[in-house]
Amino acid sequence: MKPLYSASSLLFLLSVLMFSSCVDEVNSSYTYHTMMPIYLEMSDVRARIITTEPAQPIDNPGKIYIYEDYLFINEPTKGIHILNNSNPANPINLSFIPIAGNVDMAVNGKILYADNYVDLLAFDLSNINNIKLVKRVEDVFTHMYTHATGEIITFRDTVITTESPNWGFEDGGGWLMNSSMSFSANYSAASQSYGTGGSMARFTLANLHLYAVDESTMRVFDVENPADPTFVKPIDLGWGIETIFPFQDKLFIGSNRGMHIYDASTPNSPTRMAVYEHVQACDPVVVNEDYAFVTLRNGNACWNGVNELQVIDIKDLYKPTLKKSYSMLNPHGLGLAGDFLYIAEGSHGLKSFNVSDVMNIDQNQLEFLTNQKSVDLIPGPKSLIVIGPDGVCQFDYSNPAKLKKLSCIQVTNPTKFY
Amino acid sequence: MFRKAKLLILGFLLFSVTCVAQEKLYFGQTEIGFLVGNSEEQWDGNRQRRFDVSFMTFHGAHITKNNVVGFSLGIDQYDEISVIPIALGWRGFLGKDGKPKIFGGLDVGGGSTILEKKVSDEWSKSWYEGGSLISPSVGISFPFKKDKTTLSFSFAYKRQQVSHYWGSLIQPGSQVVANDKLPPGYNSLTENNFLFRSFVFRAGLIF
Repeated sequence: MKPLYSASSLLFLLSVLMFSSCVDEVNSSYTYHTMMPIYLEMSDVRARIITTEPAQPIDNPGKIYIYEDYLFINEPTKGIHILNNSNPANPINLSFIPIAGNVDMAVNGKILYADNYVDLLAFDLSNINNIKLVKRVEDVFTHMYTHATGEIITFRDTVITTESPNWGFEDGGGWLMNSSMSFSANYSAASQSYGTGGSMARFTLANLHLYAVDESTMRVFDVENPADPTFVKPIDLGWGIETIFPFQDKLFIGSNRGMHIYDASTPNSPTRMAVYEHVQACDPVVVNEDYAFVTLRNGNACWNGVNELQVIDIKDLYKPTLKKSYSMLNPHGLGLAGDFLYIAEGSHGLKSFNVSDVMNIDQNQLEFLTNQKSVDLIPGPKSLIVIGPDGVCQFDYSNPAKLKKLSCIQVTNPTKFY
Repeated sequence: MFRKAKLLILGFLLFSVTCVAQEKLYFGQTEIGFLVGNSEEQWDGNRQRRFDVSFMTFHGAHITKNNVVGFSLGIDQYDEISVIPIALGWRGFLGKDGKPKIFGGLDVGGGSTILEKKVSDEWSKSWYEGGSLISPSVGISFPFKKDKTTLSFSFAYKRQQVSHYWGSLIQPGSQVVANDKLPPGYNSLTENNFLFRSFVFRAGLIF
């Protein structure tokens, strides 16, 4: 029995040893979306030389502008892709203009306007293969300045992993580290802004003036001489401004609280005619002679909203009244071509309606392409251009009841919609 | 992974059958006992004693007279978390027939958290995922008179990894740039990786 005794004592010793080292460990990691602040000196930004670069793959399309046979596709905060779209069935990626902080653009004659953080740039498009910067209007989009020293703050949608779930307060991020603030496309120029020269545009041209809206201000530029834009003045609009749509002498400005109507018959000093208020929601606007079509949607920074299409009677521009509203799924941008209205329903698809009878739009739905995720669209002269998470697609819309897909430009880093 | 492990075990067993012609091939061991450990450090720097139930059953085949390979299956409780350990194992014996024997063992595999409920609502999801398991053990077996069954006492060290995930979901209508750090559809994800180190004492039968 002796060896057994020694063996059991050994066992006992071993178990005591093991027991004393039996401690648990917990490692935690916290991964979240956030808007990371980035500080830039405008003097550094201005020092960069902007020249046309070879075509680059489209990573993440933002706004789209149609210029002659060309498509300008903005890559939010990075620059503008130029595509030859003479054949909508086969658009060709030509070149790229790197413009840091760029979100929007507009073309006036042969001049392209684009924002470059706080500055407005004017490019000469006479030679599409050699686009030249002809003017820089400095310090106009001043809301980006953190203070008066020429430093700007932008935000980048970032995914961060930290060891502590304390929301990153230690690096002074404060509220910026709140994930709900992330991907609020309407909060900052650097976020993933979607939209186009269609209904979600923030730059618009009318009566020889360029109007640019940010979240609270409309800035007016005189562009009578296209190559020499001059800043006229800012007009305070109140918070939550999202889109601008010109129609005749009027500017229809969509905000997350309602629709502002401005009289721009005196182009360098638009005056407010009316504000049509509705519940808080995100809302692009399109307009014809008698009615404004507004989509309200639930999402991003515009919580508590509803998903619907509202038809607003604007025969009396001083007294816009709600004519009827139609329930929608998650409407984003919309486009009007004659009597036909096209609505980008986000991840749900793309709808077309005949809106000649505004009281019965729901009964005149022509088509619902559920496999065409879409954020915005532009009814162009050659094709209906639809921007979605998977790319930029063009449709032959000569028959609005039967859209025919012509081409799709695939994107390398698609935005996901939920 | 478990399917692969199972196949491996099966293959191994079949292989053992063909190459071993011992008088008794099958080896079974069933034990119940407890797991003891010390929790992770609390906010005040102290650790709390963890004391839970452990059940284990081992099925194997003799590859030599004193060596057995097979697989083990059981249930371990770590505070609120139930883990099903599934492992490949070895048992080796030292001693004469009919006398108490010392044995050693090693189990290597993984733990499944299939018993833990996945919680899911409109805003978030949370779930557990099992992780790797390693457990060396020593023990003594006492044979019953006139019976092939023996009484066994095992002392083991058990290292079990378990992860807990809590993710908040992206709400409808949001746009998110694709990324590979978060699973699709998630706005944030909290990952807690637990490493449980326990001392195990079990008693049972070998047959």
